[in-house]
Amino acid sequence: MSAGPKYGPKPWLQAHWDLRAATNFILGGTGSGLLVSVALTAHGTPGWKPFLALALALIAAGLGAVWLEIGRKLRAMHVFFNPFTSWMTRESFAALVVFTLGALALALGRPWLAQAAGLAALAFAFCQGRILLASKGIPAWRTPGVVALIVATSLAEGGGLFVGIKAALLATLPTPWLAVFALALVARAAAWSRYRARLAAGAPRTALESSGRILVYGGTAAPLALLALGLMLPPVAASADIVAGLAALVAGWRLKFVLLRRAAYNQGFSLPQLPVRGGH
Amino acid sequence: MTRWAMIADLRRCVGCQTCTAACKHTNATPPEVQWRRVLDMEVGEYPEVQRAFVPVGCMHCAEPPCMHVCPSTATRQRADGIVTIDYDLCIGCAYCAVACPYQARYKTDHPEFAYGEPMPSEEQRFDARRFGVATKCTFCSDRVDAGLAQGLVPGVDPEATPACVNSCIAKALHFGDAEDPASNISQLLAENQYFRMHEELGTEPGFYYLWDKRR
Amino acid sequence: MKVKTYCYQCVAGPDLLTVEVRDGVATSVEPNFGASCVHPGGGKVCVKAYGLVQKLYNPSRVRSPMRRTNPKKGHDEDPGFVPISWDEAFETIAAKLNDVRARGLLDESGYPRVAASFGGGGTPQSYMGTLPAFLAAWGPMDMGFGSGQGVKCYHSEHLYGEFWHRGFTVSADTPSCDYNISCGANIEASGGVAGVWRHANARERGIKRVQVEPHLSVTGACSAEWVPIKPKTDAAFLFALAHCLLHEHPRERLDLEFLGGRTSAPYLVGPNGYYLRDPATRKPLLWDTRRGAAVPFDAPQAEPALEGGPYSVAAVEIGPDQDILAEGELSGETAFTKLAAHLKPYTPEWAQGISDVPAATIRRIAGEYLSHARVGATVEIDGALLPLRPVAVTLGKTVTNGWGGFECCWARTMISSLVGALEVPGGILGTTVRLNKPLGERLKSVRPGADGFMAYPLNPTDREHWSPSPNIRNAYRSMVPLAADGPWSQALGPTHFSWMFLDETPKGLPRVTLPEVWFVYRTNPAISFWDTDRVAEQMARFPFTVAFAYTRDETNHFADILLPDAVDLESTQLIRIGGSKFIEQFWEHEGFALRQPAVAPQGEARDFSDIATELARRVGLLEKYNAAINRGVAGVALKTEKWDFSLDPATPHPAERIWNAICRAASAELTDGAESQGLEWWREHGLRTRPFSRRDWYLYPTIVELGLRFELPYQERLLRVGKELGRRLHERDMRWWDAQLTEYQALPKWKDFPGLWETSLRAMGGEPDDFPYWLLTARSMQYAWGGNVGMQLIKEVADNVAGHRGVILNPRTAERLDVAEGDLVEIATPKASVRAHAVLRQGIRPDTLLLLGQFDHWATPFARDFEMPSMNKLVPMSLALTDATGSGADVVRVSLRRAA
Repeated sequence: MSAGPKYGPKPWLQAHWDLRAATNFILGGTGSGLLVSVALTAHGTPGWKPFLALALALIAAGLGAVWLEIGRKLRAMHVFFNPFTSWMTRESFAALVVFTLGALALALGRPWLAQAAGLAALAFAFCQGRILLASKGIPAWRTPGVVALIVATSLAEGGGLFVGIKAALLATLPTPWLAVFALALVARAAAWSRYRARLAAGAPRTALESSGRILVYGGTAAPLALLALGLMLPPVAASADIVAGLAALVAGWRLKFVLLRRAAYNQGFSLPQLPVRGGH
Repeated sequence: MTRWAMIADLRRCVGCQTCTAACKHTNATPPEVQWRRVLDMEVGEYPEVQRAFVPVGCMHCAEPPCMHVCPSTATRQRADGIVTIDYDLCIGCAYCAVACPYQARYKTDHPEFAYGEPMPSEEQRFDARRFGVATKCTFCSDRVDAGLAQGLVPGVDPEATPACVNSCIAKALHFGDAEDPASNISQLLAENQYFRMHEELGTEPGFYYLWDKRR
Repeated sequence: MKVKTYCYQCVAGPDLLTVEVRDGVATSVEPNFGASCVHPGGGKVCVKAYGLVQKLYNPSRVRSPMRRTNPKKGHDEDPGFVPISWDEAFETIAAKLNDVRARGLLDESGYPRVAASFGGGGTPQSYMGTLPAFLAAWGPMDMGFGSGQGVKCYHSEHLYGEFWHRGFTVSADTPSCDYNISCGANIEASGGVAGVWRHANARERGIKRVQVEPHLSVTGACSAEWVPIKPKTDAAFLFALAHCLLHEHPRERLDLEFLGGRTSAPYLVGPNGYYLRDPATRKPLLWDTRRGAAVPFDAPQAEPALEGGPYSVAAVEIGPDQDILAEGELSGETAFTKLAAHLKPYTPEWAQGISDVPAATIRRIAGEYLSHARVGATVEIDGALLPLRPVAVTLGKTVTNGWGGFECCWARTMISSLVGALEVPGGILGTTVRLNKPLGERLKSVRPGADGFMAYPLNPTDREHWSPSPNIRNAYRSMVPLAADGPWSQALGPTHFSWMFLDETPKGLPRVTLPEVWFVYRTNPAISFWDTDRVAEQMARFPFTVAFAYTRDETNHFADILLPDAVDLESTQLIRIGGSKFIEQFWEHEGFALRQPAVAPQGEARDFSDIATELARRVGLLEKYNAAINRGVAGVALKTEKWDFSLDPATPHPAERIWNAICRAASAELTDGAESQGLEWWREHGLRTRPFSRRDWYLYPTIVELGLRFELPYQERLLRVGKELGRRLHERDMRWWDAQLTEYQALPKWKDFPGLWETSLRAMGGEPDDFPYWLLTARSMQYAWGGNVGMQLIKEVADNVAGHRGVILNPRTAERLDVAEGDLVEIATPKASVRAHAVLRQGIRPDTLLLLGQFDHWATPFARDFEMPSMNKLVPMSLALTDATGSGADVVRVSLRRAA
C-alpha cells in the first residue's frame, strides 16, 4: 500500500495513456517526418522506396502500439466516427490517406505520389499535435505551441533518421539536404522555446526542462556543430552526419517520452474561494 | 429548456464520503472507480490553515472537452445538458479521460472485484459492457428519466434524484434545473456566492460550488 | 424490493436505511426517505452503513461454528480452527457453563466465573437479539474486561455529566445554538448523521464554532475558527475563560438569577471547606439578603446573596463520615465567592504560557461567549417559556478522560452555569442516562436528593457499607463511587484494571482471577485497548473463550469456539429510537425501528436470538430467560396492566415468534394499548413513532418543577466522598489509589497535566527531551465502531480523507527530520515502536503527531495489509495515568525519526 494520494487534490501523473500511447506519438511522429524527408528528396533520388516503406512501417507500428492500448480493440473502426470535432478521428483519416498514397507510391514508383504522401504525413503530424492541444486535462499538453513543437520535432526526427541512414549509405550528402535538416533542427529549437515560454501554470517544469536542455544542446547545437564539422572536414562527414542524425532523433524521442509520460500531470483541483463556515 | 446541474455547498460538506459510497452502490462501480468522490484540500501554512472538502466528478459541462475529442461519438450531450457515454460505441481509447480537466473519467480494462472473486452483490450487478470503455458520473440519468416519466421532480423527489444528492448527510448536494428560475438550484445560486472549477478553461461546467451567502 | 432496517453500528445512531434486494441478493443501501419527517437527519444514514452489503458477502466471514485444535494460545500460534456443528458447539459451551453453575457462579475471590465483553458503547446490544435476557437469567457475570469504551472515551463526561445534569453524553442544543466553543469535540466525524445534519444547518444559520484542538480535524475544518492548543492543556484554557467571565466583565452580564436560584453558588462554605448547615435540619445555609440572615437553602422567598460576606452564622460543618468539624458561630463565604477567588490566578496570560493559546484570543472568545449568551432571553418551546442561552462548550474524548478530564468537565459545566446555559434551549444538554434509572429516561431519573440536589446512586463510601467485595475484577464498586452500580456500571469502571490486575492484584482487593469462560462480541480489545501486545498476552491465558465471530480477528485469535451470528442484514430485532439518546440523537419523536433480514444468513450463521434461546435451554435457564423477555429485558415489556403478549416460559421460542410478540408490545406501547401490530406490519413499515416533546430535551423544567438546584460550582459532596473513600482505603492500608484521591476537590485546581505524561515517560525509562512529540488519535467516521476495517469499500472511500494511510505530521517537523511525504518513519516510546508512512499536513501543531483511528491489525483479513499502525501499541496501561473515575487518555509522548 503506497502512501501517496490517489485522486488528488494535488496534480498527479495521468495513468490513462501509457507507453503504448506514447509510442504512437514517438514512432508516428518520426515516421511522418521521415516521409516528409522522402517527399522532399524523392524526385532527384533513386532508392527512396525503402525509406518510404520504413516511414510507413514506423507510422503503422505507432498506430499498432496504440491499438494495443484501447479497451475495445475489435471496435477500432469506430475511431473514424467523429471527424467533425475529434482530432483523433482526423489523425486516423490522415493515416488512411498516408497509407493509401504511400502504398500507391510504392506500387507505381511515382515520386509525386511520394510527395503527396509526404503532405498527408505532415497533416498526420499536425493532427497528433492537435490531439495533445485538445487534451484539456493535461496542462503540459494543452499549452499553445505544442502543435508546432510536435510537428517540428517530427520533421527533425524524421530528418535525422533520414540523414543518419543516408550518411551511412552514401559518403557525402548533398548540401541542400543538410541545410533543410539544419533548418528543421533550428525550427524545432525555436518551437521548443516558444512552447516553453507558454507553458501553462501548474505544468511541471522540471522533467520537461531537462529534456528541453537535451533537445537544445544534444539535439540541436550538437548536431548543427557536427554537420558543420562534416562540411569542413569531409573525411569525418559521414560519421559526423550519422551521429548528428541520431542525436536529433534521440533528443526528439526523449522529449516526447517525457512530455507524454513524465510531465503528463493533470491540473488537480483548485479553489478560487474558500467556504465561509458559519458566523464571524 | 432544461439544464440539469448540481450544487455542492462547501460550507456544509464534511468530507464523510457518504456520497462517494452511495454512488458506488447505486451504480455498482468496480473497486477504485469513484464517479463521485470528495477531496480533502488544505490551504495555507500553519497556523493559518484552512481545510475544505470538495465533491467532484463529471461536471456535465456545456462545452465538454471530452465530447469534442471523442473519436467514436460515444460521448454525447443530451438536450438537457447531461453528458452521456454510449458504452457500445466507445473504443476505450481514453482520449476523453486526458481531455477532461476534472479527472472524472475512468476506464477499467478487466473485471475487478472487491475481494478478488465476485460476491453475489457484484455478480448481480455485473455489466460486461462497462469494461474496456470510459465510464463516469451520469447524473443518475436513468433515475432522472424514470422520475420525470412518473411526474416527479428531480432534485426534490428522491426517486428522481441522483444517489449522491439523496445520500448526503449534510444536505450539501443539490440537483435541479439551472434554467428554471424557480428551481432549488436557481434559488441557491441567487442567494449565494459560487464558483465553478477550472472555469478559465471555458468548459462551462454544470456543477456549482457555494462558498458564502450573498452579502 | 427495498427492505427497511436500522443502523446502530456506532453510538451516534440509530439511523434508518433501506436495502435493495434483487432476486434474493442484497445490492445497495439507500436512506429511508419515509423516515425523513421524524429522523433528525432526513432519514439518511452515514457512509458506514454503505459497507453493510460487503459485510454481508465478505468471503472472509466465519461461516460455521469453529473449534480450536491447537491448545497453545499466542500471537504466533495458529489456533487451528476447524469447522464443527452447531450442536457440538452448543454442547461444548453448555458443558462449561453447567459446570460453572454446579460449582457456584462466583469463584474463590468472589468474582463471577463467567465474563462477557461487548464493547461498542452499548451498540452491540442492538445486534445481539435476546442475549440480554440470557445474561439476566444467568446471574452475576463480569462485564468489566474492557476494550476501550468509557475509559478511553468521554469517561469523565459520562460520570460527572450524569452526576451534574443527567448527561451521560453532553451535546450542544445545536438547532438553537449560536456560539459553540469545542475543545476537541470532533462532532463532524463522531456526531453521526444527526450531528452533521444539525451542525450544517447551524452553519447556515450563522453559528460560530471555535474548534480548540491540536490538529485541524474534520470539525476544525468546518468551524469558523481553529485554535491549535497544546495537548492536555484544555483545562487551563477553560479555567482562563472562566476567569474572564468572573473577573473581566461586570457581574450583571452573568445569569445571576440562575446562579442564585438554581445552583449551589449561594451556599455558605465553612472554614473546613464543607457547607455550613442548619444545626437543626442539617440543611446547607445561604445568606438571605431580604431577611438579612442565614436560612436553609429551600427557605421560601429567599433572595440569596451570591457574594458579600464573610457571613457569621450559627451553623454546624459536617465532614466525612458525618464528623462534626465545627459548630457554633462560624464564618462562611458563599460558594460563588470561593469560586471567584479560586479562579483569580488563572489569567489568560497564565493560560497562554501553558496552552499556547494567546491571551488575547482567550479574552476575545470569553467576550464572544458572553455576548452570544443572551442572558435574560426566553423562548417558547412546546407551550413552555424557557430561558434561551444559545452558547455551548463541548468537549471531545481525550479531553474528557484521563487526568484533567474532571477539571475540563467541571470547568465546562461551571462556565455554562455562569450564564445559565445549562439544560436550557441553546445551551448544553445531557442527552441520556446510563447510570441513573430508569435507563435512558433522564427526566424520569431525577429524584430529589440531599441538600437540594438530584439524588445520585453513588457507590457507598461510609464505614458500614464500603467494601472491596463483592465486586468484579475492575473493582468499580469499591474504587469509583460515581460509577454507581447499575447494569452499565461494570463497563464504566476502570476496565483496564481487569487486564492489569491479572498479573498482580493491588493490596486490599480480592486476588484477580482468570475468568473460566469469556464471551466476546463486536469488540476487539487486542486492537482497541491500550498496550495491545500485553492485552493479547493476557487473553492467551484465558482457559475458555467463546467469540461470536464475524471474521477472524486479533481477539478471537485466542478463542476456543467461534460462533457465526447472523450479521446486521441477516437477523431480526426491534429497538427504541428517538426520544433523547446519545450524542445529538434527541428527536421530536420517539418510537421503535425494526431490523429485519434482507437475505437469508450466509453459511451457517444463526440469528442471535436463536443462539441465546438454545444456550438458555441447554443451561437449564429457559424459564428464567423467557421470564426476562416477558419482563422487557429485550426492549419492551410483553405484559403490562393493559396488554399481555407474554411468551410461554416453558417453551423455547424461535426468534420470529419472540420478536413478533415484542413488536406487538411496541405497537401497544405507542398507541397506549389501542393497536398491536406484529412482525409483518413492522416489516412493511420499518418504524413507528409518536411525538416526543422538544421541551423534554431540557432538564431545566424538571429541576424547576422539583424545586432542585444543579450541584455546581462547589463540589462539596465529591469532596466528602473522596475523603471517605480515602479513609476506607487507608483503614485497610490500601495506599495505591492516593494519587486518584486528590481529584476529589470542591474546586479543582490546575495541575501540570502535560507533566504527568512526562513523568510517565520517565517511569518508562525515557527523557522528555528525547521524546518531544505528542502522539494523538482522532476519529475516522468511515471506520469508527462499525467493525469496518475489513470492508474494501470503506477503505477505498476513506482513503480520500487525509491521514488514513499514515501518520500526520507538520511539514516543518518533517523537514527538520529530513522526512518527505510517504517516507517510512518510526514512532517510539522507550518501550515500543511503530512504523508509519509520513503524511505531511499543515493543519497540525509542529509538536504533535496524529494516527487516525485504531488499526495495526495482524489477523483481520484485508485490514492486516493496511500498513497503518495504531498508537494503542505505544500507550501503557498505567495506574499512574488513571484518574479518579478510572479512566486514562489516548496520549503518549514519543520520538520520531525516519525509519532506516
